[in-house]
Amino acid sequence: MVAHPGDTRAVRAAGRLNEPRPARVEANFDGTPWQVNHQSVAVLREEWRVLDRWWTEEPVIRRYFEVVLETGENTVVFHDGAGGAWFTQRGA
Amino acid sequence: MRKRPAAAVRPSALAPEQGSDTVGSINAAAEFAGVRPGMRLGEALATCPGLVLVEADPAGVEQAWEEIVCALEDAGYSVESATPGVAYFETRGVERLYGGLEPALQRALGAVGSVWDARIGAAGRRFAALAAASVARPGQLLVVRDDEVDTFLAPLPLNLLPIERQRRDELEALGVRKLGQLAGLPGGAVAERLGPDGRRAWSLARGGTNARVRGRRPPAELVESLEFPEAIGNELTLRRALGVLVDTALARPERRDRFVRKVALSARLVGSSASGGGSWRRALTLREPSAEADRIRIALAPKLAELPAPVVELRLELVELTEAAGRQLELLAAGAEDRTRLREGLRQVRASTGSGSVCTVVEVAPWSRIPETRALFVPRDD
Repeated sequence: MVAHPGDTRAVRAAGRLNEPRPARVEANFDGTPWQVNHQSVAVLREEWRVLDRWWTEEPVIRRYFEVVLETGENTVVFHDGAGGAWFTQRGA
Repeated sequence: MRKRPAAAVRPSALAPEQGSDTVGSINAAAEFAGVRPGMRLGEALATCPGLVLVEADPAGVEQAWEEIVCALEDAGYSVESATPGVAYFETRGVERLYGGLEPALQRALGAVGSVWDARIGAAGRRFAALAAASVARPGQLLVVRDDEVDTFLAPLPLNLLPIERQRRDELEALGVRKLGQLAGLPGGAVAERLGPDGRRAWSLARGGTNARVRGRRPPAELVESLEFPEAIGNELTLRRALGVLVDTALARPERRDRFVRKVALSARLVGSSASGGGSWRRALTLREPSAEADRIRIALAPKLAELPAPVVELRLELVELTEAAGRQLELLAAGAEDRTRLREGLRQVRASTGSGSVCTVVEVAPWSRIPETRALFVPRDD
C-alpha cells in the first residue's frame, strides 16, 4: 500500500522476492520429479534438502531438485515436506 | 490500554519497561485491588493475582497525543506540549473570539473530545494551572484567579511537585507535607538543605514563574514506513531496511533542499495487533543537520540493537527539517546527470503503469537458506 502522493506519510508494504509458485509435478516412487507442469524432465541435475526454522511452529522442510526439462528450460522445484505440495522457485 | 477494552474493566497495569521491574500506570480496578503505580511487579502480582499486564505502546501514545495537540491547534490555540498528556496554552488570543475565558476553555475541552478524560486548569502561572488540572475531575474546568493562587496551592500534597521521591520523602520526614508548608519556609534554608531542586520546588509551591507559553512549531511530519511480510529480528536485516527507509525519506519531494535535524525511529513489534500490543520508539537529534543518507544511517543504526522484540513494521520520521541556507553544497554533484535521467525514466514508467510499479530490491538476508527470505522488493514512488 502506498499513501497518496500529497500525504507526508508513506507506508510501503515490502514484498518477498522469489516467492515459491505452486507447480504440477509428477514424481517417481523415490520422490524425484519426472514431469513438471506437463513437461517431462530430461535431466535431474542436482538435489538438496533444506531444513530450517525447526524451532518455530512453521518449520521449513524442503527437498529441492534442479532439473532440465525436455524443452531445454532449467528450473528448480521443491517438495514441501510440511504441506506435501510442489512448488517452483527462482533464485534457489 | 485504550486499545484493549477488555483490559479496562479488569485490574490492569502497564508492564515494566525493559530493565525495570516496576509497573507503570494502572487503571481504577487495579487501584481498587491495592496496586499502586511504581510498585514492584512481584509485589503487584501478589497483591492482585489477576492483574493484566499491558505492553507499553510509546509510538501509539505519541500518535494519539499528536492528534490531541493538532485538534487544539485547529481550534486556534498555540500549544506548548510538555510531555504526552500535558500541554500548556494561552487563551488570551482567543478569548474575544469565543466570548471569554470559560467558553474558550470549554472549546478546548470539546476539541480534545470525549474519548479522553481531559481536564483543564487555568491560572496566571504555569504550575498553578498544572496543579489545578491535576486535581480537577475528568471533563472539569478549574480556574484559579491570581489572588486565589496561594490559598489554592496551600492544601495540595507535595507529590504535585516535579521532584525526586527521595527529596519528597526528606521533606515529609521534616513534617512538610503540603505545598503551603513548603512555601512558608525561607527560600534560602530550603536551598541549603535540598539544593537547587529543592529551591525550584519551593518556587513552584509559591506559584512558580509566569513564563509565557511558547507554541510549538509544526512538526515536519515526513514519515516513511516499511511493513515486513514476516517479523524480523535479525539486526543486519533491520539495518538494511533502515537504509531503504533513509534513502526513500531523503528522496521525498517534500524534503526538497532541507536538511534533517531530528529523526525518530519507531517499530511495531511482533505479537502486537490492531487491538493492542507493543511498539518501540527512539528519537535522535543530529549534532549537525544533514541530508547525507550514510550519516543518518550511522546515527540511527545502533538504536536497532535496543529493539526488545522482532519487528513487523519499521518507521522513520523526519521530525525536524532545517532550511538549506548556510550550507555549502557541491556545484556539480558526481553522477548527477545520470541520476536525473534515471529518475526521469522511472517517472515515465510510473506514469504509464501506475503507482507501486517501480520497486527497489533490497537484500535483507542474503545468507538465508530459504530463497524467498533473502530479498524484499520495496515500492518506490520518489
